[in-house]
Amino acid sequence: MAEKGKFLVVKIRKSTWFIWVLRIIWVLWLLFWAEFTVGSWEELERRAFVISLVILLLSLAVGLFLWLWGYLEHKKA
Amino acid sequence: MNRRDFFKFGFGGAGLAVGSGLASSADNSPSSPGRSVYGHPRWVKMIPRPKLAVDDNIYSRFNASNNVFGSFTRYYGEENRKKLMRESMNKTMEYYLEKRPGYRLEDRALADAAWVISRLGGLNRGTRAWTSKSVRTPEQRGVEIYNGSPEEAAQLIKAAARYFGAATVGITILDRRHIHSQERGKAIVFEPAGEPYEDEEKLVIPDKCKYAVALSVQMSLDNLQCSPTAISSAGSSLGYSRCEFLVAGLAQFIRGLGYVAVPSVNDLGSSVAIGVDAGLGELGRTNRLITPEFGPCVRLCKVLTDLPLATDKPIDFGLLEFCKVCKRCAKACPSNCLSFDDEPSFQVKGGWNNPGHQAWFEDAPKCLAYWQESTSGCSICIPVCPWSKKDKTMIHEIVKATGAKIPALDMFFSAMDEAFGYGRQKDADKWWSLNLPEYGIDTTQGKG
Repeated sequence: MAEKGKFLVVKIRKSTWFIWVLRIIWVLWLLFWAEFTVGSWEELERRAFVISLVILLLSLAVGLFLWLWGYLEHKKA
Repeated sequence: MNRRDFFKFGFGGAGLAVGSGLASSADNSPSSPGRSVYGHPRWVKMIPRPKLAVDDNIYSRFNASNNVFGSFTRYYGEENRKKLMRESMNKTMEYYLEKRPGYRLEDRALADAAWVISRLGGLNRGTRAWTSKSVRTPEQRGVEIYNGSPEEAAQLIKAAARYFGAATVGITILDRRHIHSQERGKAIVFEPAGEPYEDEEKLVIPDKCKYAVALSVQMSLDNLQCSPTAISSAGSSLGYSRCEFLVAGLAQFIRGLGYVAVPSVNDLGSSVAIGVDAGLGELGRTNRLITPEFGPCVRLCKVLTDLPLATDKPIDFGLLEFCKVCKRCAKACPSNCLSFDDEPSFQVKGGWNNPGHQAWFEDAPKCLAYWQESTSGCSICIPVCPWSKKDKTMIHEIVKATGAKIPALDMFFSAMDEAFGYGRQKDADKWWSLNLPEYGIDTTQGKG
């Protein structure tokens, strides 16, 4: 264990490989919809913009919820 | 790194990887050096001949007086035409009075003004004259005519065409059957002449004009999405005016190199057929050319020349299979003039069609009648086409690349395109405050 005040300790919870794969897919999924949202805005395609924004925000919310849920479960254990 | 580079590196998700993988597998060997620079996206395949068949026993030169503009009265009936014009005039006035967006004085004035350069030319007239007195020939400069290789010449022509406003350029050996047999009451003939000329009976193209440079000019999708209004009409009109400038400039450039150049827009022959041969695009359900870069949102023009040029090949980007299942244009057409047939056929709809080639032939008089009915023309089939895109987001390129290789997904892509609201009519009133770029187009689109 690090000496108090001398080191900043970053703790990364161990996860199985497929959790990491899912996280990467989630990030790429978010990037894809973010790009689509910005592009649709630039194209002045209102409906495409709204749909892609909703999917982006929902994906973000679901991902964050799952992450938070996993974190709390871990803390409880 | 811009968005296009980002896409090319294949970074951005599984779908992207699929798209990139498909793109790189395309056989896209350039047929001329010009093609490698002024080329199509990587997922477009070069093919030896156009996919839709031509019956050589039937296909021949078309008399332009039979086209729907020249013979509308014959096809539609004199009484019907008069009634249509009366109703159109009444409706035009009604729209003026109620200040309907897209049909007001300012909208109509814009549409008319956008024609202004186009009206400077006609078949061997004005900006489309087949010879020019103002050109400085190599002889006048005291030098030899340009004598680069066909590959070098093709590169020059493509660079110059782009500079004069072409969105895409293709070169083909001229198939004379694409040239009208008659126009403006005169025969168009090929003769062993040194220069093109016109006399009382005929218009003469020199035999040596063996090459056709096919050109496309982008139209503003923002305008066409307002179809059918005068704002949309302005998009088409400006496309024609820009074609006028393009062919006039390119023809003068070729003459300056010491060769013959015959510029043409919709006159002289079928720009669509020449465009297909030159690999600008494929023939779609609308019986018009659809390009991989801009869909049908282009105007076409061409320049015939005797300057030896390296030629391009026809292309296949999966459009034929796509059009078979999509049918968005046919469903959206208010005049019901487009075919719903699953397969293209040799069966023409009337004298306005040139028989002898496979196509989805259109009922052109119905289309033209609707132009009058709407009071400001119609281009609905163009913005509803899923290939008409501004390409500001990479999904469009992924869809195009994937559709080109996996036709089974075409129906899904078409349905998704509709679900996401593409092709819906836009508010013509808002067009005036869109703050669009020059000519209402993104000149960097499709230039990868």
